[in-house]
Amino acid sequence: MDCDWPLLGPLRWLHYVNKQVKVRTGKGDEHSGWLLSVDPVSASAVLLTFSETAASVRVVMGHAVKEVEVLREADEVTAERLRAALLPPSPPSLDP
Amino acid sequence: SISSSAASESDSEQLQKEQHARSVLREGFLRCLLSMTNKKVQFQMYENVKVEATFGASDIDVLNFQVSDLHTPIGVQKEALIRCQDVISFTFDI
Amino acid sequence: SLRSSVAPPPERPGERRTAEMKKLYGEDAAKIMAMEAAMQLTFERNCDRKQPKYWPVIPLKL
Repeated sequence: MDCDWPLLGPLRWLHYVNKQVKVRTGKGDEHSGWLLSVDPVSASAVLLTFSETAASVRVVMGHAVKEVEVLREADEVTAERLRAALLPPSPPSLDP
Repeated sequence: SISSSAASESDSEQLQKEQHARSVLREGFLRCLLSMTNKKVQFQMYENVKVEATFGASDIDVLNFQVSDLHTPIGVQKEALIRCQDVISFTFDI
Repeated sequence: SLRSSVAPPPERPGERRTAEMKKLYGEDAAKIMAMEAAMQLTFERNCDRKQPKYWPVIPLKL
């Protein structure tokens, strides 16, 4: 999608949240991941990538974002995982 | 008139939606920054500079990151501030 | 009294920011302001304690 990312505003940023996106920077790098959030102050995009065993976050600064393309929507399992990703660590479960 | 009061009602509804969206997004971002505290973070910066540091905190305007044990190409700087304008992206494991 | 006859009450510190935050975040303004205040405090306290210097000294991106 061709857009002036930092100017889109909260409602249009929210549209990308919980979708798998590809972020292209002005330097030409591409980063794919699930979009967790967009900082409304700096327009920075928070991307989560995860495998069976590990997860990492990449934040692309708003001033560096050139283009954001939606790749796909989250299914239920992924959506749940995304919701849990930024929550404060939960106390250990009582279940064994 | 009826139509203008209806219009201002939908304006205020629109404003509330936007305020809610903004607060959800901001909270998500602040939580992300909080979750970075004391984590090793890799910064990809302009001029093809890549450094690693232990994250401390960000100011709320997202202008500066306070970090420790910054591994620069010419050595380790124990305490440092990184200008957010110099940063393209950064990554950490969760 | 002096106040009621001469001028509107002086703006208290933080009042303007509260109004701005209210405009941006609506009913969640207090929550966001609390989170931001905690973060800013940590930032400033760390800077006071550790006296970090900018790296690099000259900005990469002018």
